[in-house]
Amino acid sequence: MARDAQDPLVRLRDVALSYGRQPVLDGVSFAIRPGEFWFVLGPNGSGKSTLLKGILGMLPVRGGEVSIDAARVPRERIGFVPQRGEFKDTLPTTVREFVTLGLVGCRVQKSDEPRHLAWALERVGLAGFERRDYAALSFGQRQRTLLARALIRRPSLIVLDEPTSGLDPQAQRDFLGMLAEMTRAGQLTVLFVTHQLPMAIECATHLAVVHGGRVRTGERREIVASREFWELFPAALDSPAGAPAAAGEAAAT
Amino acid sequence: MSDMIREFIDSWFLFSNSYIAGWCIAAMLALIGVIVVARDQIFIGAAISQSATCGIALGLWLANAFALAEDSWWTSRAFHGVMSGTFAVLAALLTSFAGRSWRETHESITGWLFLFTGGASILLVAHTPHGLEEVHRLMASSIIGATMEDTIVLASALALSAFVLWRSYRPVLLVVTDPEMARANGLRVPLWEAGIAIGIGLLIGLALRVSGMTYTFACLVLPALIAKHMCREIRGVFLAAPPLALVASFLAFLLAHRYDAPPAQVTVVLLSLALAAVWLVRFARGMLSR
Repeated sequence: MARDAQDPLVRLRDVALSYGRQPVLDGVSFAIRPGEFWFVLGPNGSGKSTLLKGILGMLPVRGGEVSIDAARVPRERIGFVPQRGEFKDTLPTTVREFVTLGLVGCRVQKSDEPRHLAWALERVGLAGFERRDYAALSFGQRQRTLLARALIRRPSLIVLDEPTSGLDPQAQRDFLGMLAEMTRAGQLTVLFVTHQLPMAIECATHLAVVHGGRVRTGERREIVASREFWELFPAALDSPAGAPAAAGEAAAT
Repeated sequence: MSDMIREFIDSWFLFSNSYIAGWCIAAMLALIGVIVVARDQIFIGAAISQSATCGIALGLWLANAFALAEDSWWTSRAFHGVMSGTFAVLAALLTSFAGRSWRETHESITGWLFLFTGGASILLVAHTPHGLEEVHRLMASSIIGATMEDTIVLASALALSAFVLWRSYRPVLLVVTDPEMARANGLRVPLWEAGIAIGIGLLIGLALRVSGMTYTFACLVLPALIAKHMCREIRGVFLAAPPLALVASFLAFLLAHRYDAPPAQVTVVLLSLALAAVWLVRFARGMLSR
């Protein structure tokens, strides 16, 4: 059967996720299509990272089904950016060694690795940093190396777990701008967990709001126009991005 | 110096197996020691070595309790090797996986294992003829007495571990340094961790029977700790640690022969002094760069 370009890359059907016997999420259903920029929002401990882990197969699904279109997004074309790198400062490593660890699980010729590395570092604004000591990088630069470690896989789908927390506002904008550019160019589909509402409201094409063990999903306009959203995130009303959306909702009602 | 080398060469006929076995152990443990150091689980080497000693002590106890003939397989070096390896593998698996589900730290499990197997080793052989002596020898370390078979087995183990690490260096490094990322990249992390634990356990078990605890523990962690300060990448640490261990053990064996000192202990002291010197240089460089 011919596959439509807009068929979902990732589809969740009635998914339930738990840690041991402790249920975290239930009845999660949504689909992510190519070129979409998803933000996952929710209070602390609501299950945002759990949702990502379920999608990536890092946590067993207790019910329902997570299906990823393996023909368009094989495992090696999925990039993951954690909140923090776990690499210990007491170990010696260079940006080159750290970033190329992202190639684990990818079929890349040894001779092509420098090209992939240079491409990924250029995307994150660290061109020429190959031989720098990882321990000598600033926090912001380390976060960018985490992104480069995901990008070196040339991903079709990239999953990010609050990678901008701790970055200054300008660095956050640069980080997102770069992702948005790649998404617009049709190279990337993004699933981004964040606490930063203004950023999400400004950049998202779609939102997933995690709250009370449930996930409400939809296009940004639809989610932001809902009363439930503003009840859950009243602080967003104060944000520059939130005000017009709230005004839109008031006009609609 | 030339006298020292000549005397050493003269002793080759008598001690060649011990020397070669000692060098194989040094290089092999230095190689896998990089994994232990990268995980920041230094003391695991002592706990696994102690557990392997406990395995041998249990073997000695079994032979005594069931009055097994002195020339039977149950009293042979091969049986002690099996016991040592089995206990070392079990200890490595225990320290890798236990404690997670009951919220205990890795250090606590390692400390418990070290103390339990240390006490049990002595208790098991307390009333065994020669048993206590053998366990004390293992704890104190002596590489004198290695056989040709030991040397062949250890050289094969060194070649095999070097080949496996060369082939799977990157996934091993990712699993060791960032298991969550490894999981996200599609690796079956528990399987990799089990494989790494079994490998470390087997190699320590093999080494311990020949060289004893102190030499085994020292060769496992000291060369990697020294190399860590001399290299800019972990790949370099993997490449530098085995030659460092070889050079140190070669010099130590020369000195030990010249001054009639136990070679294992001379190696341990040499490596420890080298690490202290590296720390000192690091400290001095830090002070100067301020």
